[in-house]
Amino acid sequence: MIKLEHVHKTFANKPAVTDVSFEVLPGTLLVLLGTSGSGKTTTLRMINRLIEPSSGQITVNGKLIQEQSAEDLRRGIGYVLQNNGLFPHYTVAENIAVVPKLLQWDEARIRERTLTLMEKLHLPPAEYADVYPAQLSGGQQQRVGLARALAADPPVLLMDEPFGALDPVTRASVRKEFMALDELENKTIIMVTHDVQEAFEMGTRIGLMDEGRLQQTGTPEELLFAPANDFVANFFRDQRLSLELKTLTLNDIKPYLPPAAGSDNYQPHVLPGTTSCWDALEQTMHTEGVLSVDFRTEVFTLDSRSLMTALQVYKQNAANGTTTKSF
Amino acid sequence: MEPQQSLFDFIQQQSGKLLEQTLQHIGLTFISLLIAVLIGVPLGILITRKKVLAAPILGLAGILQTIPSIALLGFMIPLLGIGAQPAIVALFLYALLPIIRNTYTGIKEVDPTVTDAAIGMGMSRRQLLYKIQLPLAMPVMLAGIRTATVINVGVATLAAYIAAGGLGEFIFGGIALNNTNMILAGAIPAALLAIFFDGLLSLLQRVQLRKARKAVYALPVVLILLSSFYLLPSAYGTKLVAGFTPEFMGRKDGNLGLKKVYGLNIRTVVISDMIMYKAAYEKELDVISGSSTDGRVKAFDLVVLEDDKHIFPPYYAAPIVRNATLEKYPELTPALNKLSGTINDSIMTELNYRVDYLKQDPARVAKDFLVAQKLWLPARNGTKGTIRIGSKIFGDGYILANMYKMLIDGYTDLQAVTKTGLGGTKICFDALLNSQIDMYPEYSGTGLLVILAAGQQTVDSLIADRQKVYDYVSNAFMQRYGIRWLPPIGFNNTYALMMRRQQAAALHIKSISELKEYLTVKGKE
Repeated sequence: MIKLEHVHKTFANKPAVTDVSFEVLPGTLLVLLGTSGSGKTTTLRMINRLIEPSSGQITVNGKLIQEQSAEDLRRGIGYVLQNNGLFPHYTVAENIAVVPKLLQWDEARIRERTLTLMEKLHLPPAEYADVYPAQLSGGQQQRVGLARALAADPPVLLMDEPFGALDPVTRASVRKEFMALDELENKTIIMVTHDVQEAFEMGTRIGLMDEGRLQQTGTPEELLFAPANDFVANFFRDQRLSLELKTLTLNDIKPYLPPAAGSDNYQPHVLPGTTSCWDALEQTMHTEGVLSVDFRTEVFTLDSRSLMTALQVYKQNAANGTTTKSF
Repeated sequence: MEPQQSLFDFIQQQSGKLLEQTLQHIGLTFISLLIAVLIGVPLGILITRKKVLAAPILGLAGILQTIPSIALLGFMIPLLGIGAQPAIVALFLYALLPIIRNTYTGIKEVDPTVTDAAIGMGMSRRQLLYKIQLPLAMPVMLAGIRTATVINVGVATLAAYIAAGGLGEFIFGGIALNNTNMILAGAIPAALLAIFFDGLLSLLQRVQLRKARKAVYALPVVLILLSSFYLLPSAYGTKLVAGFTPEFMGRKDGNLGLKKVYGLNIRTVVISDMIMYKAAYEKELDVISGSSTDGRVKAFDLVVLEDDKHIFPPYYAAPIVRNATLEKYPELTPALNKLSGTINDSIMTELNYRVDYLKQDPARVAKDFLVAQKLWLPARNGTKGTIRIGSKIFGDGYILANMYKMLIDGYTDLQAVTKTGLGGTKICFDALLNSQIDMYPEYSGTGLLVILAAGQQTVDSLIADRQKVYDYVSNAFMQRYGIRWLPPIGFNNTYALMMRRQQAAALHIKSISELKEYLTVKGKE
């Protein structure tokens, strides 16, 4: 668990971070989203004391961060950097073993843990254990960076634009692998990014920052449909439709879909209610014939027109505060 | 003339000496390098942390680097005397800049993401330094050490000037003796050492990072090992220490003769003529190879040891004059002969002392002497003819040329002009042969060995007897060149061994044989 209370940071009398407070619970991932210079990275680096806050309190797992030495604190926090920051003179295995070594684990345990992580991150040890980072592709390097951060199984993980240096295709695949890791269960994770799509895809909650202030913290739906101010509303303008479609599921818009028609008919294409609107819309484009949705209790037929209409109504209701979904 | 000796012969003959000098050279280079690494690397690390210190420390090391090496060695003498200490300090100062600068740059250039990651993983400052910064900066630091090594191998040749040994002994000896083989015997190994160590370090720089870690541990061991080479040659010693010029070291009528004829075995260092006398005065050296009439013999209260077995050839000074001139102006000979027999060694030393050390005007010193000898007459300002007097660039020559001018002006109706500062023997003699000058003072030994270049047998048969040498050159010059040797002036400006007056008296040493006696009886205590 990570908790920030009224945290300020000024550099040479210029405020970098102003009055930031939030709490991240175990098993959730908070994305700090914002443009360059918004203070998101400064906020992240204050948590493992790479930067000391000017005022305010930060607690990690219920303990004030100043109560322990910076080294001990950091050894208990996984840290992933944008340009991976791998040690070029260490092999892959040695890179992964850095923190366990600092914690003075015994050799056998380090070896076992390293091999396990390499397997999980699709880096076959036989092939990669004794290879130097320079010999790896960008995606592989970033996977080693993730493995290094997870090596000592820290309860807390800080990630500073972890996929930022990768090309879009590699980024998507590494991100997917990461999200699927069982290692992440019950971890408290904060990730910094300026990529809106990434934030919506990965964040349990999103904190949108601008000019050192946290503009709004909430679930993706809350940021989209109940923006706290104009800045938040405008921030997503360019990608609003695709974000909305990706964020909402068919379950969310069910009340606004037209009633079922011919539901007893044989339906070759059935989608579950948990399908995102984005995927459902895509299906309507690629499907010949009738598409239906299985809401368990009832089955609706679906076409692109009815889906977009339902979304429209959902948004109107959300703006009026009369949506059925509670945030 | 003896047949030309090949470089290979020379190296074979002098292999023992060459090995000794090479070991000294390596030793000097690496002792100073080791100290520079021990001090430069921590300083380089310090200025990556205390950034305010970076500019002043790098600036200071840069200024040290710009001081000419011979000047830096010179500065060291008043502080540290002569020998290994000042040489090592000077070399250390030269090695410092590349090592500090490259340590600083190497650490600065470590990818900030990597150091950020290391700190973020929870490394302490110490762990960061030893596990990340130093290993990653190592190639750049090694490049600095490599530069420093090559600089040191080069500058260490100059150590021979201040009695610290090394390959410079051959190089400067060879230059002084105009012996190409000797120069090459010093210069080629010095160049090879530079190339060898440069290659070795570049190899170290390029090995795989992993192996480099082990190589880096080996480096200090190798440095210490190489440094210890310096101690090997000087492990033996005698009670007294001799300092000889590079030229004297290589001459038959120098150190080689001392060993052969006297059997003199004394711990010897090679040293520049410029600081040798002072070093003897300051008790850094006990015996030096000087020039018997040098003014500094008096300035530093030294005493010349008698050459009782006559290994140093006689260098009696006498005016040599074109015979044609003497026949044209018969009054010239008696005027010039007025000086004959008036100046002995100690008088010449005194006169040189006044010119070289007290910086008095040679013309004034010459006049004072003539006046004291009651030989001086006011100039007659005659117009009968002009006599052109030459001289070499040394003190002796200036003073004598001035005396002869005054004698000619005072005793004849001729007008004398001086052309002093004609460089070495060759320039003076060529000027005389080609009638650009009419006379100049020359030494009998120089006439025999340099101008006539007499064969070894002739030299051996004459060398012990000053009169025989004088007669031989006087006849040969008349026959071959039509140049006449007038009677000698009196002093003998030859090589000499000298000691501090006090020490020589205390040890009852008056001759080279007595010195030898003292060393063999008491040197092995």
